[in-house]
Amino acid sequence: MRKFYTGMSFFLMTFLPISSAQAVTDADIEALRNEIKSMKQSYEGRITELEAKLEVFEAEKAKAEDMKVKKESSIASGRKIYDNEFNPSISVILNGKYSSFSSKDSEISGFAVGEEGERGNEGFAVDESELNFSANIDDKFYGSVTAAIVREEGEDKVELEEAYVQTLAGLSLPNGLTAKAGRAFWTFGYLNEHHSHADDFADRPLPNRVFLNKSYNDDGLEVSYVLPTDLYAEIGGGLFRGDDIPFGGSDGEDLDAWSAYARIGGDIGDNMSWRLGGYVLSGESDEGRSTNEDAVIFIGDTDLYAGDLRFTWAPTGNQRNQEITLQGEYFWRDEDGTYEDLDTGTGAVTFDDKSDGWYAQVVYKFLQQWRVGLRYSELESPDVPAGLVGSVLDSGGHDSKATAIMADWTNSEFSRLRLQYNHEELSDNQNDDQIMVQYIMSLGAHGAHKY
Amino acid sequence: MLRFFHIAWLLVLVILLFLPSTSFAEIRVFACEPEWASLAKEIGGSKVETFTATHARQDPHYIRARPSLIAKMRKADLLVCSGAGLEAGWLPILFQKAGNAKLQPDKPGYLFAADIVPMLEKPILLDRSMGDVHPEGNPHVHLNPNNVLLVAKEMTKRLKLLDPSNAESYQSQFENFSKKWQNALSRWEQQVLNLKGKRIVTHHMSWSYFIDWIGLSLVNTLEPKPGIPATTNHLEALLQQVRNAPVLAIIRTPYAQDKASEWLSEKSGVPAIVLPYTIGGTNEVTDLFKLFDLSLQLLEEINNVKR
Repeated sequence: MRKFYTGMSFFLMTFLPISSAQAVTDADIEALRNEIKSMKQSYEGRITELEAKLEVFEAEKAKAEDMKVKKESSIASGRKIYDNEFNPSISVILNGKYSSFSSKDSEISGFAVGEEGERGNEGFAVDESELNFSANIDDKFYGSVTAAIVREEGEDKVELEEAYVQTLAGLSLPNGLTAKAGRAFWTFGYLNEHHSHADDFADRPLPNRVFLNKSYNDDGLEVSYVLPTDLYAEIGGGLFRGDDIPFGGSDGEDLDAWSAYARIGGDIGDNMSWRLGGYVLSGESDEGRSTNEDAVIFIGDTDLYAGDLRFTWAPTGNQRNQEITLQGEYFWRDEDGTYEDLDTGTGAVTFDDKSDGWYAQVVYKFLQQWRVGLRYSELESPDVPAGLVGSVLDSGGHDSKATAIMADWTNSEFSRLRLQYNHEELSDNQNDDQIMVQYIMSLGAHGAHKY
Repeated sequence: MLRFFHIAWLLVLVILLFLPSTSFAEIRVFACEPEWASLAKEIGGSKVETFTATHARQDPHYIRARPSLIAKMRKADLLVCSGAGLEAGWLPILFQKAGNAKLQPDKPGYLFAADIVPMLEKPILLDRSMGDVHPEGNPHVHLNPNNVLLVAKEMTKRLKLLDPSNAESYQSQFENFSKKWQNALSRWEQQVLNLKGKRIVTHHMSWSYFIDWIGLSLVNTLEPKPGIPATTNHLEALLQQVRNAPVLAIIRTPYAQDKASEWLSEKSGVPAIVLPYTIGGTNEVTDLFKLFDLSLQLLEEINNVKR
C-alpha cells in the first residue's frame, strides 16, 4: 500500500513541471508548491494512519497466537492419563547382612528345627529381597502378593511369602468383620504377622524359630471381627491346609489346621498404648512334618498356644523423637505322635510331651534416628523318650538361651542400618557369639506403621 | 471333626456379635488431627461426639495404627482428616481393620481437607531422594483460615447428609461460626499487614499455608529435605544465609525437636519460637480462633521488638 502512494506522488511530481512550463507565473508556482505541500501532508497523514492500523492488527494477531500457545500449554500441563495409572503399588525391600559367628555349629538341642529357623548364613549374605504388589482390586476386595528371593542351601529361590485377597468395607459385611484368603502371615502372636524387615532385631527370637519356623504362612482362610466396644477387642479364627510348620505334609484332603484368637488393647493417657492377645493354633501332620534337612519326621497332632503383650510409651508425646517399646511372647506346645530321626536311625518313636519358650525385648528410641534394643529368649526342651536318646531331639537336659543387643540408625522411613550382637547357648558347650551388620531399605510405596 | 465344630462355633459367635451394634443416637466424628475435631465441635455442637487420633505434641505423620484407633474408627460415622498422604502410614491399616462401610471414599462419611482446598507445593518431580514428598501437595492445609472455612462448609454439608434430623441445627451453627470466622479473618488480615514480606526459617514444611496466607517469605527449612533431620552441614549453610539477610524468626511446631532451631538461634541471634500449630499446641489454644489469635500475637510481638 505504502509503495503505491509513493509511486503516485512521484508520478505527479514528474508530470507537474511539464504543465507548469506553459504558464510560468510566480503565483502558479506558489499555488503548485502549496498543492504539493498539502498533498504531501495528506498522504503522509494517511500513511501514518495506515501504519498505525497495521501495528494494531499485528499486535492483535500476536496476542491471538499467544493465547493459542497458552491454551495449548495449559492443556499440556494438565493431568495426563497413562495406561499404568491403575498399576498396583509396588515396593521392594532390599535386605542384606554381614554376619560373623564364633561357633561352627548352631544346633538347638531338644528341638526339630526347620530351614528358616536355623541360624543365618555367615559372611556377606543378601538374606531376603522382597517384592510386594498390592492394590484395591475393586470396591469389595483388596489383594497383595509378596515374593521373597532367598538363598537356601546355596541356591537362590523364590518363596511366595504372601498372596492373599481381603474383603473391603464395600462388600457390606457387618462393620468390623473382615475375611482374608490365600497365603498370609496369619494372626498368631505379635511377630508372626509382620514381615521380618519390620522387626526390631536382625533375627527372630528362639521360640519363633523353633515353633513356627520363623513364621506361619500356610494356605487358608481367616476371619477377624473387631467388637463394637470402646476398648479395642478383636476375635478371629482360621482354617488352614496344614502344610507349613508347625504342621506339614498335608495332602489337602482335609483342612488339617485351625486357629482362634482374641486381642484387646487401648491407650493409657495420651502417650502410652498397649495390646494383649491369646492364640491357639492346632492341627495334624498326617504325612509328616520334616525338619533338620529332612532328617527328622514328626507325624501326629500339634497344639500350639501363644500369648503376647506389647506396650509403647512416648515420653515427650511425640513417638518420632523418643519412644520405649516393650514386647514379649510366650509359646506352649503339646505334641502327640511319633518322631523319627533318620540320621541316627531311631525308627518311629511314640512321643507325647510339652515344651515351651518365650522372649522379652525392650527397644528405646532415644533420638529421632537412633534406637537401641535388648532381647532375651529361652526355650524349655521336652523330656526325651528312651527311643530318641542320642538323636537331635535329645537335649541332654539343656535349655537353650539367647541374648541379643542391637543399635540401629534410621535415616528416613525408607532406610535403616543395624548392628547387632548375639550370645547364644543353644546346646551344651556351644557358646556362640555373633556379630551382625544389616541394612534394610525399602523402595517404592510408603510402608505401613503397624502397632 | 471336633475342630470343625470349633470353627462353626466361631462363625456363630461372629454372627451373633454384630447384631446388637446397629443403632446409635449421636454422630461420631473421628478426626485425624485436633484442628478438625475442634471444627467438628463448632459445627456439630452437642449433636456430635469427637475423637482425635493425634494430639498437638505428636507428629501426625509418624504415629502407629494403635489398637484404640481401630476401635474408634470401627464405630465412627464421619472421618475428617487432612489427607494428601499425611496419614499414609496408619490410616490404610485402620481402614482395613475397622471395616467400616460408612467411611469409604465415595460416602459422605469420608472427608479429606486436601480434596477440598487449593493445594500448595504439588511436586513436579517425584523422587524419594527429595525426602518424604507428598505427590498430592503439602498436607498442612489448616493454617490458612480461608481453608478452615472451606472445610467447615463441606463438613456442614456432610453432617446434614449423615444426620438429616439435625440438619437445621448444623446449618445455624455453621452460619454462626462462619460469621464469627469472617469477622476474625478481617481482623487478622489487618494484623498481618505488618508481617508481609518478613523473612522466616521453619523447622519442617508444616507452615507453608500460614506463610502463603500472611505473605511471609520462607528463607529455608531446618530439615535439609522433608522428613530428614537437620545436619551440621545444612545448619552451617543456613547460618550464613541468616547472617546475610535479616530474618524475623525461626518457627517450629510443638512436636518438633528444639535442638536445631535453638542452635541456629543462639548462633544468629534470631529468636526461635514455638507456634501452637494446632489445638492444644499451648494450653491457651482451646479452639481455632485462639489458634490464629495467639500465633499472630506471637509473631507480632517479635516483629515489634525487632523494630
